[in-house]
Amino acid sequence: MTWQRQILRVDLSSGKCDIEPLNMAWADAYLGCRGLGSKYLYEEMDPAVDALSAGNKIVFATGPMTGTMASTGGRYAVITKGPLTGAIACSNSGGKFGAELKMAGFDLLIIEGESENPVYLHIEDDKIELCDASGIWGKSVWETEDLLAAKYRDPLMRFAGIGQAGETLCRYACVINDKHRAAGRSGVGAVMGAKKIKTIAVRGTRGVSPGGDPKKYYGIINEVNARLDDREGMARDGTLAMIDVTNRFGSLPTRNNRSVRFEGADKLNPEAMHTPNQNGHTNIITNGACFGCTIGCGRICHIDPTHFSVKDKPQYHGASGGLEYETAYALGSACGVDDIDAATYAGFLCNEYGMDPISLGGSIAAAMELFDIGAIDEKTTGGIRLEFGNAEALCQIAELAGKGEGFGADVALGSKRLCEKYGHPDLSMTVKGQEFAAYDGRSMQGMGLAYATSNRGACHLRADPYGHDFETTEIEGKAEIVAQTQRDTAFIDSSGLCLFPGGCGWGLEDYRALVDASCEGDWSGEARMKETGERIWNLERMFNLKAGLGKKDDPLPRRILEEPADVGTGKGLVCRLAEMLPEYYEHCGWDADGVPKKETLSRLGLE
Amino acid sequence: MEISVTLFGGLRHFLPAGSSFNKCSIQVDDGASLDTLLRQIPIPADKPYLVILNDEKVDSEDYAGIEIKSSDDVVLLPPIKGG
Repeated sequence: MTWQRQILRVDLSSGKCDIEPLNMAWADAYLGCRGLGSKYLYEEMDPAVDALSAGNKIVFATGPMTGTMASTGGRYAVITKGPLTGAIACSNSGGKFGAELKMAGFDLLIIEGESENPVYLHIEDDKIELCDASGIWGKSVWETEDLLAAKYRDPLMRFAGIGQAGETLCRYACVINDKHRAAGRSGVGAVMGAKKIKTIAVRGTRGVSPGGDPKKYYGIINEVNARLDDREGMARDGTLAMIDVTNRFGSLPTRNNRSVRFEGADKLNPEAMHTPNQNGHTNIITNGACFGCTIGCGRICHIDPTHFSVKDKPQYHGASGGLEYETAYALGSACGVDDIDAATYAGFLCNEYGMDPISLGGSIAAAMELFDIGAIDEKTTGGIRLEFGNAEALCQIAELAGKGEGFGADVALGSKRLCEKYGHPDLSMTVKGQEFAAYDGRSMQGMGLAYATSNRGACHLRADPYGHDFETTEIEGKAEIVAQTQRDTAFIDSSGLCLFPGGCGWGLEDYRALVDASCEGDWSGEARMKETGERIWNLERMFNLKAGLGKKDDPLPRRILEEPADVGTGKGLVCRLAEMLPEYYEHCGWDADGVPKKETLSRLGLE
Repeated sequence: MEISVTLFGGLRHFLPAGSSFNKCSIQVDDGASLDTLLRQIPIPADKPYLVILNDEKVDSEDYAGIEIKSSDDVVLLPPIKGG
């Protein structure tokens, strides 16, 4: 059976660990991973609680495809109320942890309450224990994993946990698994830190098998996996290939979105990564793949040991996860930094301390603009000249933010709280408090709408307006595309599969065929897929409404609405959000205030 | 005249022999259209791409009506997504 049909519930307040049956009626309606985890969260907790209080819960959710032989079937999601946003947080990750949790026999792990002292959770199939973490509290993600791996001496044990950033409640602390894969967004790591749970160590031996017709299942796996063989250079270039596209198109956010093109993009792109520098050092070593993935978009990189960032730090001379497109933007163009080794180092720090690089970069970029306009100075920053383009300052602030020290503690608040603190809230490039991803909403109008309406705050992975945005900057049709694709991505995210094959070979029908072949029940119809996605999207919206969010939280920063793009295909344009938003609400079946109508909720079984 | 064309991402696989990393030089007659230029780059018909000419996106139905000049900056982008 594709679902393991059981969940593990851990109450940190009492120290109890219980195995419970999975609610299969909910699995039938919400599929798994993002959808099912969100359903449990919605039903079990008050969305209005403080995200960092004991009343918040954190769910680690696998999907029915997690741990199967389908390409990219290694995804899991961390669902909780986000400390960065106050909205529902659902951060999706790859690596191997999710498949291992599933193989231990669990579709979901629900953690509630809070521990008095630091603990970690140790799972080996049905042997489950909360262990004293006093010896690893204060350690980095990397140190923690090495120490526990040495203790358990099982090379197949997988870890998902927090570093110092989670412990110090950095608002965008993330959960890192397998040392450099991240459930990155919205501060899910800070929820672990507040609950004093350092990491989850899991080993599973039960396997995962399809629930339907195995012959049909393996036939479809072979058919759709083959479609990823022509990978458009994704193994070689990874997602970083995007930087040349957006830079030339004119949608690469640069210097806190002051511009949409970065003159230093050529120093951060795939060619820069593959070309030896003056010392003969090449940034990339190889590509990497998550569980079951046949694409391999991950970057395994190392930093020139003579580079200023690491020359006296041999612990950073080895290989780790390198720059993806989003990190190259956030730690590169957003800060005006064109030093690939500095950006790689800042990215390593994100993995080591457990921080979301998009939010870190966005927050540093905002701080650089505050410095540029004189709202803060070297006295504020502890002597750091936080100018756009200053690679050394980028590295210094990343270190401080990871530890929550000095001015880094302000940067760890996130861009919104940082800019409010220093009197310039307009300079925060965020929605619902979450920093923009690597697309500008002026030259990509659909992405602007997608950012504004994303249930977890600004995000490039909650809708799929890319194709239409690259076709035209006119707004006709974009509201419907965003509304429709938000449902599609909700379905894919709930399957345990990755969104990325949708960009290099798979269509929605391929995802649907995989789910249908492996899950009990009939998932072959397009209508069920669409309705499931729509149900999940509306459930997330309802969570946010009950948390106190609403239409007032669906705006974009003034810069995107009033300052025209400076170059590229969108030159002279601002985002026409005010025209798109009412139409978007209509396509969602929501009223003019962005509240789902009674008939919408009734149709989706959400009343 | 010779026109320099830059291809990004996976489109590089379709550069003519002898091209540099992501650029090729295409020989066309004076007064040639953008459509004529693009037909000389062996990109399969089922591979979609965007054309950016001098920093502006060009719609495919306009290719035939645009006259190319030697100073033109022609860039082909694959419509990839994600990050």
